[in-house]
Amino acid sequence: MTTAPELPLKGIRVIDVATVIAAPYCAAILGEFGADVLKVEHPIGGDACRRFGTPTSRGDTLTWMSEARNKRSVTIDLHRPEGVAVFKQLASKADVICENFRPGTLEKWGIGWQVLHELNPSLIMLRVSGYGQDGPYKNRPGFARIAHAVGGFAYLSGMPKGTPVTPGSTTLGDYMSGLYGCIGVLLALRWRDQTGEGQYIDTALYESVFRCTDELAPAYAMYGTVRERHGPTHNEFTCPHGHFPTKDGKWVAIACPTDKTFERLTLAMGRPELASSSLYGDEKTRLENRADVNEIVRDWCGSLKREELLEKCYAAGAPAGPLNTIADIFGDRQFHSRRNLVAVDVGDIGETVIVPNVLPRLSETPGRIDTLGPRLGEHTEEVLKDLLGMSEAEIGTLKEKRVI
Amino acid sequence: MTNDTDDSAKKAKRKPTEGANAPPVEEGAAAPPPESPPEPKTEASERPAGEALPLDGARVIDVGTFLAGPYAATILGEYGAEVLKVEHPIAGDPMRRFGTPTKRHDATLAWLSEARNKKSVTIDLRQTGGVELFIKLAAKSDVLVENFRPGTMEAWGLGWDVLREANPGLVMLRVTGYGQTGPYRSRSGFSHIAHAMGGLSYLAGFPGETPVVPATTPLGDYISGLYGAIGVMLALRHKEKTGRGQIIDIGIYEAVFRQLDEIAASYGLFGKVREREGWGSFVAVPHGHFRTKDDKWVAIACTTDKMFERLSEAMERPELASHTLFGEQRKRLAARDEVNKIVIDWVLSLTRKEVMDRCLTNQVPIGKMNSIADIFADEHFRARGNLAEVSEDGLGTVVVPGVVPTLSATPGRIKNLGPALGNATYEVMRELLGLTADEISRLRQSRII
Repeated sequence: MTTAPELPLKGIRVIDVATVIAAPYCAAILGEFGADVLKVEHPIGGDACRRFGTPTSRGDTLTWMSEARNKRSVTIDLHRPEGVAVFKQLASKADVICENFRPGTLEKWGIGWQVLHELNPSLIMLRVSGYGQDGPYKNRPGFARIAHAVGGFAYLSGMPKGTPVTPGSTTLGDYMSGLYGCIGVLLALRWRDQTGEGQYIDTALYESVFRCTDELAPAYAMYGTVRERHGPTHNEFTCPHGHFPTKDGKWVAIACPTDKTFERLTLAMGRPELASSSLYGDEKTRLENRADVNEIVRDWCGSLKREELLEKCYAAGAPAGPLNTIADIFGDRQFHSRRNLVAVDVGDIGETVIVPNVLPRLSETPGRIDTLGPRLGEHTEEVLKDLLGMSEAEIGTLKEKRVI
Repeated sequence: MTNDTDDSAKKAKRKPTEGANAPPVEEGAAAPPPESPPEPKTEASERPAGEALPLDGARVIDVGTFLAGPYAATILGEYGAEVLKVEHPIAGDPMRRFGTPTKRHDATLAWLSEARNKKSVTIDLRQTGGVELFIKLAAKSDVLVENFRPGTMEAWGLGWDVLREANPGLVMLRVTGYGQTGPYRSRSGFSHIAHAMGGLSYLAGFPGETPVVPATTPLGDYISGLYGAIGVMLALRHKEKTGRGQIIDIGIYEAVFRQLDEIAASYGLFGKVREREGWGSFVAVPHGHFRTKDDKWVAIACTTDKMFERLSEAMERPELASHTLFGEQRKRLAARDEVNKIVIDWVLSLTRKEVMDRCLTNQVPIGKMNSIADIFADEHFRARGNLAEVSEDGLGTVVVPGVVPTLSATPGRIKNLGPALGNATYEVMRELLGLTADEISRLRQSRII
């Protein structure tokens, strides 16, 4: 057994002074791949993510336990000048800072980009906010729900002309912004390694959403096409392509983006004649007869139990899958085989918490989950002592004054 | 170089759509975009933006199709990598035919936008001569992106062992519906299936009713592309330290599943199965979509008690936020129908503009539910350069989403949109692989390239 190679971000120190999910998710990924992540939180209450979702017996929620994985908690009150001084000392020893306050907040505390950049010219700063650091809406409060609306996802989710619904999850835009932020940080680290120069990354929740809207923008600009809600149908270019109910009251997704995949579906249905050129073999014909084609597929789906139907599709190579609930996912062989669910013992709550495993999966340097979300301030003393070289007395004074 | 110069260079790259041949829009179209506030001055960039980028000198081969792997290559290209799109000589990437066609026979709008900055090189990997060329190309590249079904590259003689022998430092990104391992690895997968498999589709729609597609876009492809780009950047860092390449293996379904906050943990610990939430939320009230008097929609998100207090002020009913009424989230959740009805009625009594104004004055989190027409009329999208205009021969101006994220010293860029099929084949064969003109024409005759 050879020892695992060093993780790619070993030796990188990240300060995560952000809240809830967006920028913190970036810090979580950096931590999974070896960075030392210091979660800087307010001494009273800490990150609001500790209260977002379902509480554990310790009080901190499951979202916190999962997304603060591998982080160390350091409490500092940034509303106090003494707190700002400690933060600056940390920043001078950090490679990356992740923040997602409303633009101007860090500046108000005296730790804006200019100050920090002067203090540590190679520092990289990720700034995630609802609307970005500039533009007319920069001061508006932003949450993922709002970003889904502004960025175009919410308008597109729901039955045609019906009430627009949540696009599956209220936190989608947060995660996506964390991913874009992480790409920005990794690019900036590479640039810093080449030039010694730091920089900041400015990204907005609504932008992450809008960037993932395929040809919505060019189609409107060129042809004036305004895409509307499609209900259970994936897009206007292919058919059949959507969600269908099965005999046992469950749902499947079927996708036939090409003539070839439709042919395979007809084989699964035992009706190969449907894929002939005189019937529905061409995409064009299927689109012209969308209602008929969908009805044929819906009738077939309604005649079989979900598992029977999916077996037929898989055997014929037709793209299909179950609309999984989380209960289905826990029973799914693929999730288990790829270890997408990992159980982590949390000693101090005496419970095992199951969380999504590290993504992406790297063959030589796979990421890791050493610990789940820390207790508030669990690592304040060790960090101030070991990293900043503070004495017991200094730490004691800061504690008494409730700065940390 | 002064900062002012830097800012103007950056602005030029993030050109708003002013003056585009955009069709008329529903509202506010006549209003010119207001002056955006000056960008914060930064000493971060002493050099003009765009002169050098973090991935300059990196070469990426993108042999994927559609979007899932290729979007990772798109991002790498925006930040300076040279991206060679390797395609079949006859048909090319099927993405060229996916979506709305243009006057260019080999390019839909989706292709134009997402194959941005790439160069097209045609090689037939089903011919031995093509495989040999591909191995030579891989030997001169840093990153290889593919998304064939597991085993396909191996069947062509292009498995990891072969490629690694040709180039020990190669980073290989493999994106498929289900990943390279596990019982479902051979199944065909598209993002639509991955949304279902990963648990997202089940959650979109009204409780007990038909699950709808989340947002109609190939979200899973984009998200797995984001994880792919992260994996490549991490692997490049490892390669620079050790000289060793590696494989990044992503299943689209798992990228989707990773977005679902505490759904796994709360099922694991409490057996809670999350259901569709319709237009609202199970964890906060009011938190959802509301119709206005002029038949438009807004999203309002009162995640905390503070936000609800502000909303009740905007509604001129501050008593609603008292302890005896609905001041606490717990109480609002218990009386969700009652609270929602108050907000529904209030929003319905006002036009969208009136609701927006009142909420924003009181710092309530609110947003318009934008259609693409609304987005084109939106001053903030313009100010941030989210709609990039690119001139394309024969097509005029094409408007595509700008680069995300924005880096202060090294902002990404869009040099060109999706290339014509094979536009760089000759250049790459000649200059990169050092073939003679004769050799190239023989390869063309045998339809290997």
